[in-house]
Amino acid sequence: MNPNHRSILSRLDDAVRWTGFPARVAKKTAVCWTGFPARITNKMSDTPSLDRKHQPLRWIPILPIAVSCALFIFSLTWPPALDGVSPGAIISIVTAFWGSIVGMAPIIYISGPLGKPSWKDDEREAALRKDSFLFCLWPLAALNCLGQPILLILSHWQNWQFEHSASVVSLSLMLNAALLGCLPTLYASWKLGRLPKE
Amino acid sequence: MSLHNRIAVFRAERGISRRQLAEAVEVNNQTIGYLERGDYKPSLELALKIARHFGVAVEMLFSLDRFEPIAMTLRRAGEDE
Repeated sequence: MNPNHRSILSRLDDAVRWTGFPARVAKKTAVCWTGFPARITNKMSDTPSLDRKHQPLRWIPILPIAVSCALFIFSLTWPPALDGVSPGAIISIVTAFWGSIVGMAPIIYISGPLGKPSWKDDEREAALRKDSFLFCLWPLAALNCLGQPILLILSHWQNWQFEHSASVVSLSLMLNAALLGCLPTLYASWKLGRLPKE
Repeated sequence: MSLHNRIAVFRAERGISRRQLAEAVEVNNQTIGYLERGDYKPSLELALKIARHFGVAVEMLFSLDRFEPIAMTLRRAGEDE
């Protein structure tokens, strides 16, 4: 088969390899055949990962944040042309953007800010993971504490209709999800510079 | 306050790689790199493990003050002899 004409499912299979899990499973299975499954189980659970490097994602997480911010600002400005659009169409559009953000989550978020599960952390990585989430906490808290009263005042002042309010609420939720998922990854990726090769 | 270390010097002297040291003290080899560069301050446990691996006192490896250059140490040792 031509590699340029692969199905979506086969492309998704390739995407899963980025997570590193298939390689781990293959390694585990291979060792189990040698008759030492107990030893490999202990190795996987007790010791930190020595070979699994933290792969920084320095640019990709900016995309969902930028898209969410742009959509949220767009929903706040709410052009008059959208007043005639049916609520169903608005819900469909918002759901489509939600889907695109959720679709990016496995790349950025599913393995955490370091791109690997926390049970494989050594002490530096555990500290970095904790710092990443703590760093994310204050902008999110500040944004929500300041943003909610502002939205309330705006909705009253501009006399928002139901469709307008619904889109602002759902897009603010999307912005929150994007920030929660991507800010820790960005922090962990930018915190330390690249190491020179030995 | 910065914490200075001589891990890279000891590693070069013993001819061991970052990965070998990382495996001996059970951390990721990136952690050894960041330690050597001074970007990460180790826990007491990790500092003691590294010192035990090299068979030296922890003060030989880590210091709150800057270590004197090796050339200076060698020159002083030569003068003492």
